[in-house]
Amino acid sequence: MSDIPISTAVEPESVTAESLQNALSKAPIRQRSLWRDAVRRLLRNRLSLIGLIMSTFFVLLAIFGPAIAPYPYQAQSLLHTFELPSSVHLLGTDALGRDLLSRVLWGARTAILVGIFVTSISVTLGILLGGLAAYLAGATDWMVGRLIDVTLSIPSIMLAILVNAAFKKPFELAFDGFYQATHNTFFQGSNSVSYFVTLAAIAAVSWPGYARLIRGQILALRTQEYVTAAHAVGVPTFRTLMRHIVPNALGPIIVAATFGFSSAMILEASLSYLGIGIQPPNASWGAMINDNLSELRLRPWLVIVPAVMLGAAALAVNYLGDGMADALNPKAKEK
Amino acid sequence: MIRYIINRLLVAVPVLILVMVITFTLGYYAPGDPVVLIYNEQIAFMTPEQLVQIRHSLGLDRSYPEQALDYVTKIAHGDLGTSIQTKLPVLTMIENGLPVTLQIALAATVLLVVVGIPLGILAALRHNSWADYLIVGSILSLRTVPIFVLGPILILIFVLYLGWLDLPLGWDGLFNTKVILPVLLLAAAPMADVVRQTRVSVLEVLGQDYIRTAHAKGLNMRMIVTRHILRNAMIPVVTSLGLIVNSLIHGSVFLERLFTLPGFGNLVVTSIQVLDLPVILGTTIFSALIVIAANLVTDFLYPFIDPRVRLE
Repeated sequence: MSDIPISTAVEPESVTAESLQNALSKAPIRQRSLWRDAVRRLLRNRLSLIGLIMSTFFVLLAIFGPAIAPYPYQAQSLLHTFELPSSVHLLGTDALGRDLLSRVLWGARTAILVGIFVTSISVTLGILLGGLAAYLAGATDWMVGRLIDVTLSIPSIMLAILVNAAFKKPFELAFDGFYQATHNTFFQGSNSVSYFVTLAAIAAVSWPGYARLIRGQILALRTQEYVTAAHAVGVPTFRTLMRHIVPNALGPIIVAATFGFSSAMILEASLSYLGIGIQPPNASWGAMINDNLSELRLRPWLVIVPAVMLGAAALAVNYLGDGMADALNPKAKEK
Repeated sequence: MIRYIINRLLVAVPVLILVMVITFTLGYYAPGDPVVLIYNEQIAFMTPEQLVQIRHSLGLDRSYPEQALDYVTKIAHGDLGTSIQTKLPVLTMIENGLPVTLQIALAATVLLVVVGIPLGILAALRHNSWADYLIVGSILSLRTVPIFVLGPILILIFVLYLGWLDLPLGWDGLFNTKVILPVLLLAAAPMADVVRQTRVSVLEVLGQDYIRTAHAKGLNMRMIVTRHILRNAMIPVVTSLGLIVNSLIHGSVFLERLFTLPGFGNLVVTSIQVLDLPVILGTTIFSALIVIAANLVTDFLYPFIDPRVRLE
């Protein structure tokens, strides 16, 4: 095949003391150039640049959106239901007289928060289980492998629904207990419980991809020649791990986490759309689409605005992920 | 060959049993006492002795392992439990809904083959052209944007603004304009997999020596595509059958709610809303069974489609 690098094709440079000195003095820069190269490649790809800009926009929206929202997300005004967009309510109001713009802005925070938490939880789970499987091998590896198979063979939405249903009551009881003990309003009522139940449900279906990836990465990298070489010259195991294995494994994991981030956002919206994710009055784009679906004919913006926000956010992160996949793969050919 | 089949089955069976055990465990710890869910307000008129009696007759007073074993054995005999809401066997409910879902899924699969594979080949043959970028870009969007976002937008455009279609609600058989939007939407997500797989494998095949030979002996492009490329490029598409089936089940959950279709996905959604746990468990296990079966079929087909594959 044509893309096997033929080393002899490279023009051999004459090695002089000067050129060697040159090469050595450049060495520290070259050490960091993998990441610098990756960023350069990422920014040069137009689609991933768009993805990066849009993702940044949505993150900023999640941070500052609620602050600039003209109304609280749960503020109802039953005298002003289904208002058309006006200077008072820029995007109009819904069936309960809630300002759509404010709810869309708060929805951005929900989506990004769920994305961040689910990705951190499931990457951690993936590192733990994947790492254990790779290092302990044998029965542990078999068990983790089967657990991954099982989780992947149940369609993710079905498993998320089931976990959601199963965890709801225990979580509510626990929160009630916390509230009794601490009287912290965070634990009061079912307001924040739905966030935790949704996080648990999505994380429960998201970890297998990471675990499989990390297990594969560790197994593949462990037999690499440079790891053997490091071992041979007496580099301690931990140092080998941190200096050689982790940096090389990180690229694919970052890419997977980026795609995972957008799937987590979509799964949250999916569960909320089905009425079992984020519970009202909390704002979620998925729930907003569902709530306003009956108004599609007369007030389509009530559905289309949250739908487009969700679609755009998910696409932005995915474009970014696509760009990262190319940028972080040093073996990829430069276009 | 027989040893290969048995080997694959031996991997699939423990997975299936684990699916059942995990599903049962989640259901076991789920909210709501089954007795309360089944008898709801009648429970106020029952004496504690009667409750104990009911618990015993339902087998709820047994230990967790006993109940789990009982659940798995029952499923092995085709008994997925009884719905709390409708008092019908879950399997019957699935059987009632499945034909609708299967017909739409089948139509979507035909669309995948008829549209997805040619698009993938086109993108590969015009590699790095605007056609390639357009196909790959729009396919990524279809893969990412969920049905409940795409659906309302398509309804708005085609039904409410352009008026090309009537509002497609309900089910009047497959040969009806009502199914156009549902089938398109259901095919959207797996379409991305099919196009991407086809594109990648055609690109790989294009670099092979036998394609150059075919060019060299003066074969025209159409012959090369139909004789040499298509067959080889089909392999990864068939092997992603499990992925496609997974996508179709996922899609049907949202699709049937959007278009009020009385299918499998609708059963799932209604069971969540009333927390009909036996139905939630049953549909979960059923969908896992289908995915596992699809993966097995792929494994079995693989050596036939790709003779280079060795069976060990």
